[in-house]
Parts: sequence; structure tokens; C-alpha cells
Amino acid sequence: MDTVTINQPAAAAIFDLLKQFITEVIGEEFAEEMDIRPSSSFTKDLEMDSIEIVAFSEKVKAHFGAHIDFTGWLSGMDLDQLINLNLNDIIHYIQQCR
Amino acid sequence: MSKFLFVVPPFFGHLSPTLSIGAGLIARGHEVTWLGIVPVDEAHLPEGGVFMVPEAALKGHRAEIERILKRQDDGPSLSQPEVMKLALEETYVPIARMMMPGLEQFMDEWQPDVVVNDCITFAGALAAYKKGIPCATTTPVPPDVMGDTAGNAPKIFEWLQKLIRDLQHSVGIEEEGVFIHSRKLNIVFTSAAFAGFGNPEPHMQFVGPVQGRPNHSPFDWERLSGATTPKIFVSLGTLLVDIRKEFFTRLIEAFRDEPVTIIAATDPAVLEEWPDNFIVQGFVPQAALMPHMDAVICHGGFNTVNDTFMNGLPMLITPIAYDHFHTASLIEKAGCGLKIRYRRMRAADMRNAVWRLLKEPRFREAAAAVRETFMAAGGSARAIELLENFVMEATPKLMDA
Repeated sequence: MDTVTINQPAAAAIFDLLKQFITEVIGEEFAEEMDIRPSSSFTKDLEMDSIEIVAFSEKVKAHFGAHIDFTGWLSGMDLDQLINLNLNDIIHYIQQCR
Repeated sequence: MSKFLFVVPPFFGHLSPTLSIGAGLIARGHEVTWLGIVPVDEAHLPEGGVFMVPEAALKGHRAEIERILKRQDDGPSLSQPEVMKLALEETYVPIARMMMPGLEQFMDEWQPDVVVNDCITFAGALAAYKKGIPCATTTPVPPDVMGDTAGNAPKIFEWLQKLIRDLQHSVGIEEEGVFIHSRKLNIVFTSAAFAGFGNPEPHMQFVGPVQGRPNHSPFDWERLSGATTPKIFVSLGTLLVDIRKEFFTRLIEAFRDEPVTIIAATDPAVLEEWPDNFIVQGFVPQAALMPHMDAVICHGGFNTVNDTFMNGLPMLITPIAYDHFHTASLIEKAGCGLKIRYRRMRAADMRNAVWRLLKEPRFREAAAAVRETFMAAGGSARAIELLENFVMEATPKLMDA
């Protein structure tokens, strides 16, 4: 089981990476004004629109690998799930996919 | 001659194109009545047209209508999926329910030959279906805002289907099917090419922008003709009242020291002071002003989008909510403008974008190409022809009369 834990980046490390991707997508100036946390929701707290979320998911894919079917995962959600989707959800999803 | 009943929502952007084609129908001798839930200023109505509000039937709903209208101000601060819920669950469906009794009663009394329902004013098509009256639909925005939800977002598709099914049941329609829009004639006020429809279904008729509604707003033409710098028209439309102060504050920051003239369509009272290079007025004769402009900044309200490209002008679109993002993506695709999302609007970026629009010919060239597709679509004359043919085919008895 050791290899699994080694290969599985800790949630905190994934969070830092995701925060960096978000900053790249929405711009440093806007990211600085926001308190980006694991509990931040994409649409409500970070005010990301669908184009920004797609740009973000491209970065996630480029880093973690094409097997992360981000858009496929999102397309299975209903409106309330999309409204409440936060960074923690993505971190868990990435961990599951690995 | 025929009797046309337009069923419209309390949103001017959706009412506006129906006023234009209604004016044309009246000029050709038809009887035209609009039915809505909020009265409209007489000045907007074409002469001979009647605007009907079934007050008695709406009496118990006034507080709810007020609340729904006020709730629209929350749009800009909501996320996209929240706006979808706001639009469907909190606005279109309840408005349809409230409209039905008064609308059905009026239809029984007035006996229209055709009902023309606006695309978000479901009651028109539902009442027409119940009474067996032919129905056409008007769509003032590029259709398909939500994309292929059946294929790409099955849970959202199912949510939408259930909302419509429940609405239909609640107004007494038990049959399976979707009856909120006409499947016979849907007149869309843009071009198929701009909206990204390569091969539209035959009932989807893209006629482009329509003109002809009265607009008697005065304007300080002398001051405008004295302006020697490039002229930029700026509008946030008629909705979105709460964010005006913030939007125009940023606009001033971007352009107060630039060699441009800003013509801003907004109540001057939203700010205490305006720079000298800003001409500010509440209601403006927008269609008459456009030919004098060099570029346009707007959030993506579709009447302003249409006026802009009818004049071959490049646009900076600053999408805020609702269908603005979809429109922005169409503009980027056509190459006739640039997009800066309202939430990410920085003065320096706005300045750069506007100067690019003014200096790089490709934006104006792409806008001229969109204009060509709009002109070819036929406009008001085509919309009126479609409606007249529709009423002939749907009610053959009229041909003998």
C-alpha cells in the first residue's frame, strides 16, 4: 500500500496547485481579492463562468492526465450540484481518479 | 384582415421587437393587441395598437409580480446555474401560471385569429394550445442558449422537462409533449449564420433585426455633432438597474482622459458627476443614434446587439448574466467584437479593447459581414409576410372572406 500513498499527492498539495490554476484563469488581481479555500465554490464564491471553468479544467487535465474526465464528470450533475461544487469536490475527484 | 394577439413578458427587450412587427401589421390593416402583466408606456405603442393588462385576474398576484421583477436585480450577482433557476423556476413558470386565467378569458372575448407568444412567455402558447388557436412564437435572442442539455447535461434536461410538464399539468394540459413554443412558426430576430444554426428546422425562421416601433426620445444632436473624437455608444439596456453605478464608475475611470466621446444611455442621476466627454441620457433614440457611432460597449442585451451590427459597428461586450455569455461567444466567433466579462472588467483592459476595435479594421469588417447576414434575413417585412402567410394557412376560411 506504500506505493499508493506515495503516488497520491496530499490534498493540501492538490489544493495549492488548483489555487494556482484558478489564479492563472481569472487573473492575479481578481484572485488576490478572493479568499480561495478548499470550501470555496466555483460559481458562487469564485464567480467563475463556464468558460473560465472549462479553461480551469484544461489545466487540471494537462497536469494530472487526460484520464481526468472533468467535463464528463460535470455533465452528470444537476443545477444544485453545480451551484455548490467546491474545490474540495475536485480534490476528491482527482484523488479518486488516480 | 386578421386579429393578432401578442403575449409578452414584463421585460422591454422581449417586448420591443414585437412592437416593431406589430406596427407593421397595423399599417397593413390588421388588428393587434398585446397582453402582458405590467402596463407599458403609451409612447412605445404603435398608433392603433392596444396593450391589455388583465387587471381583475391579476389582482391577487400584484405583490408576487413586484417581487419577481425586483428579484431580477439579483441576476448579476448570481452564478450561471443559479440564474437558470431564477429564470425558469422563479420567473417564467410563475408568470405563465399567473397569466393563464386572464389571458384565456381575454381570448374567449376577443377571439384572436393568431396568438404570437414571446419565447419566455409560455402562457401564450399554452392558452393557444388549449383553445385550438394557431400560435407562432417570437424569439428575440439567439436560440439554444443552454446548448444540447439532453446530450451533455441529462440531469439539467430532466429538470427542465419536469418544470414544463408540471406547468402544463397545472394549467390543464394532460397530453404528453412540450407546448410552450410553437412548432409551426418561430420567428427569430437574428440571422441563422450569426446564431450558429447551419441547418435550422423549417419552423425556425431567422428574420434578423426588425425595426419600426416608435421612439420619440429627444436628443441633443447639436452637442453630438460638435464632438470630434471617436464616438462610443454605451448601453446596459433597461434591466440591471442596481449595477449601473458600479458599471459607469468603471467606464469613467477607463475613458475620462481618453480622446473619445462616450454616449451613455442611462439615467444621469446614477452618478453625481460626469466627465465633459460623456453625453448621458436616460432613454435615447438608439436606432437613430447608431449610424453616428464608431463602436459600442454593452452587456449583450439583444436589441443593442442587433442595432450595433445592423450598422456594422464593432462591439466590446461585457456579459453580466442570463444569455449574455452565449451572445458574447457568438460575437467572439464572428470576430466582430471583443469580450470582457463584467466581473473581470478592469479600466485598462476596457481602454485597450476599445482602441483595438477602433484601430484594427478586421473588427469592423467582421461586423459588416454580420450586417450582410442580417440584411439578407429580411427583417420586419419578412416577419410580417411570415405571419400573414401563417394566418392564411392556419385559418383557410379567411381566404374566402
